[in-house]
This record gives sequence, C-alpha cells and structure tokens, in this order.
Amino acid sequence: MDSLNQAKIQKFEEFVDRRLKPDLVRAIAERDKVFEQQKIFSDLRKNIENLEQNSVTNLRTLVNLGSEVYMQAEVPDTQRIFLDIGLGFHVEFTWSEALKFISLREEKLERQIEEYTRLIASIKAQIKLVCEGIRELLQIPEEKTVEGRVF
Amino acid sequence: MEKPEVKGTVTSLSSMFPAEEVQKAANRVAETLSEKQNEMNQLREFIADNTSLINLVQKLPEELHHDIMVPFGKAAFFPGRLIHTNEFLVLLGESYYVERTAKQTVEILKRRGKSLESKMDALEAFMQDLKAEASFFDSTASEAAEDLVEIKEEYEEENSTETESQSGELEQESPSFAEADNTMVASEDDEFAHIMSRLEALEKEELAAESYGENDEDQDTGAAVSDGDEDEDEQAKAVFHRKKYEGYSSLDHDQRYSEVYQSRKPLQQLKGKDSMNEETSSKYHHQDLISQLACTGLTVEPVIKGKMSHSQSMPQETKMLNPSINASVPFEKRVKFEAEHSSRNETSKSGFDSSKAFTGSIVEHTLNLEKASPGQTTSQFSGSQTSKPVSRFKMQRK
Repeated sequence: MDSLNQAKIQKFEEFVDRRLKPDLVRAIAERDKVFEQQKIFSDLRKNIENLEQNSVTNLRTLVNLGSEVYMQAEVPDTQRIFLDIGLGFHVEFTWSEALKFISLREEKLERQIEEYTRLIASIKAQIKLVCEGIRELLQIPEEKTVEGRVF
Repeated sequence: MEKPEVKGTVTSLSSMFPAEEVQKAANRVAETLSEKQNEMNQLREFIADNTSLINLVQKLPEELHHDIMVPFGKAAFFPGRLIHTNEFLVLLGESYYVERTAKQTVEILKRRGKSLESKMDALEAFMQDLKAEASFFDSTASEAAEDLVEIKEEYEEENSTETESQSGELEQESPSFAEADNTMVASEDDEFAHIMSRLEALEKEELAAESYGENDEDQDTGAAVSDGDEDEDEQAKAVFHRKKYEGYSSLDHDQRYSEVYQSRKPLQQLKGKDSMNEETSSKYHHQDLISQLACTGLTVEPVIKGKMSHSQSMPQETKMLNPSINASVPFEKRVKFEAEHSSRNETSKSGFDSSKAFTGSIVEHTLNLEKASPGQTTSQFSGSQTSKPVSRFKMQRK
C-alpha cells in the first residue's frame, strides 16, 4: 500500500508543479497586464478632466523621438483627441465623448480583471486541494485512527 | 625507439575527464553562450535604433514645422506640430538633460554608437572564446566516449622520442619544447653527466680553436664525444642547421651564439661550483648538464630564437626558456644551477678566457655573416637575459 501511496503522491505533486503552478503564474501575468491598461485609461481620464477644468487650448509638450531625445511640439487645438479603441484603430473624439468612452472602457477592463481574479482563485483552490490530498495520503499511514484533525 | 618494457602510465581519458562532467561543462558553456547571444542581439537593436535616430535628427531641421500626432499618454493622440525643429533635449543620464542643436545631437549619438559598437566587439570576442571552449568540451566528450587513453612515459637518455598523446590538454609550447621538458623529468643524473661531458668537450674545442673554421667540426666532434647523446645532438644540430639556413643572418648568429653560450654557462658554473676540478667528476656533471642543455637549451633555444626572429621581445624568450628549464628538471638541481649561474658570474668570468676566442669563432662560422653583426647580436642577446651571465659575455665581447 505504501508504494502505491507513494506513487499517487508523486503524481499529485507532479500535477501541482507542472500544471497548476504555471497556470497560476500565467493567469497572474495576464491580470497584471489588464491592471496596466486600466491604469493608463484612468490616467488619461484624469488628464482630460484636468484639461477641461483649466480650459486649456494650447499645449506644449516634449515628444520623445527615441532614445530619450526630445523635441518641442505644440498642440494648437486640444479640442480633438484621438483615442485608441483597440485593434489598431484610433478614433477622433471631443472631450466629452472621450470621457464617455474612457468610462466605458474602464468598465470593460474591470470586468476582465474580475474574471482573471476568479480564475486565479480557482487555480489556487485546486492547488490547495491537491496538497490536502497529498497530506491525507501521507498522514493516513501514520495516524490510522485519527479523524477530524482539520481544526 | 621505444623500449619493450612498459615504463609509463596509461590513463584512460574518460577517467581524467568523466563523460558526464564534460557534458555538464559543455551545457554550461552553451547556456552562457546563448545568454551572450541575447545580449548581443539587444546591442544590435540599440545600434540600429541609434542609427535611425541619427537619420531622423538630421532630417528634422529641414522644415520649420512638422505636422505630427502628439501622443498623450499611451492610448491617446493629439494632432499637433513639431516646432523649434533645431532644438533637441538630450538625456545624458542621471536626470541630466541638455539642449542641443541637430548637429551637436548627431555628434552625441555618434559617440553613443561607437561605445555600443565597442561593447559589441568585446562581447563578440568573449563569445569566440566561449565557442572555442565549447568545441573543446565537445571534442573531449567524444574522445572520452571513444575511450582514448593518455600514455605517459618517462624519458630516458637513449630515447629521444617520447610517446605522449595528450589529447585534451593544450600544448602551448613547441613540440621540441615539450620533449625537452619530458627529457628533464627522466633520469636527470644521466642527462647531467651527458651535458657535462658535452660541455667539457665543447669547451675543449673552443680552447683549441683559434681559427674560425673549426667550430662546426668542433660541434660535430663534441656530438660524437657525448655518448649516447646522439639523438639529442643530432636533433640539436638539425634544428640548428635548419635555423642556420633560414637566412636570418644576425639571428643565426644569435642562435649559435646563444646556443653555445648556453652550453658554456653551465660549464663555467660547474667549474667553480663544486670546487671539483677533477676531470672525471666535473666531466660527469658536465655531461649531465650538456645532455640537459642539449634538450632544453640547445634544442629549445634555437627553436625559440627562430620564433623570436620576428619580434624583438627577448625578455619573453628568457621567460620561455626559464620555465622550460625549471619545470623539467628536479627543482633543486636546476634552481641551484640557475642560482649559481647568476652568483658565479664574476668568478667564472675570470677563469674563462676562451670565451673571447669562442665568440670570434662563432662570428666566422655562421653562414652569411658579416663581422659587424657580432656586436649587434651580442647587444641583442645580452639585452634579453640581463640577469644571466650573458652580461659577462657581453662585457668580454666589448
């Protein structure tokens, strides 16, 4: 029986290490990406609101030409803004439209984050399950009559 | 030439370089190699970016304004224009920025490109070394798998050839060099006697030779004298003659000079050293020394000299010579010898007048030689071995 147990334990451990843990890592990475996107859009929103509040029409910025070489740029009319709506498209918006769009976008991102969080949680639960199984297999041979030790 | 009895040791290569370890080493080297490859690719990208940026910076001042889309964060753009097209703000690092014109910016970028390129070259050189290492490991692994064995045999005087197949190790010295080394490892006493006898013979010949054309013959007779040393002597002579005909007149001279000189030095030293002026004992020592020298000094020197003919790095020669000598012989003996070399400089100097005649004969004897060269070669030679009795020689010559 012991050898069988050992084999089972080994299988469980392998399963955890090879499938579950990498899955967990991947899921976390994806979620982080979405977090980033969310941050970008929230920053954008804040900036636009700022511009609106101060009624800024002209804008002077420094544009990065590459390798941290900057050049002055001027935006004469800040009424129009082009937003990236995904799939390589940029759409012209006015400020209010832009703000609406951004809020929609943010909602979508939040939903994505929630999904990822759920996925991560389930993977973690699976890992825990397998570990418990291993522990059971290990402890039953040792303590044959012990029950309800989970407290 | 090999004796029928098994004298040496046979070690299987696989025992010296266990196959697994070689594999591991090869893997490690491969990993490092791939890392460096990645770094190299990155560097190449940087360099490409840099060059494209240089082009851009050069092109921009052509217009007063450029219509562009000005980015606003990562996901938004504003339509706008580039203004002040000749003013660039360049980051120098550590949050230091400079405003530069296009031309100055181009210079900055060019300098950056140069440093990147030099980094890449260094990386490439490193990678080459790694590749060599990797190939070495691979070959070793395959050889170990094939059960190659390393055979080592002690050198004995009568044998001039050695069987030493060292597949894994890099032979950095010339073959004769290695041979000479192995020579030393073997029975030193016999060699010592050999060398001593030879030296003695040479000395006698020099003393006797007042005329020029005698040296060659003397050398030959000297060779005949030292018994059992034929192979070495032939070798030495063969090397010597080879070198002679190389057409490096001054260097031949040097060779000859150094070779004979080398043989003379220990002779002189030994003379003073033991205060054994009996022919037999000193002869015995001389013999050893001669044979020793025949292997190290005589064979090696010409080889080295030949090599050295291309560069004037004489000090190297000394170093090359010394390690061979020191490494091959049992340390005490050789060290003593060397020590006495330097110490007995003065003492033996007085007792040895024939050096004058000797050098004269050398001059004459080399092939396309002019009388003017001796002075040259002397200074050349003496320049190399400052710590050795050469200086004495030089003094005498001058």
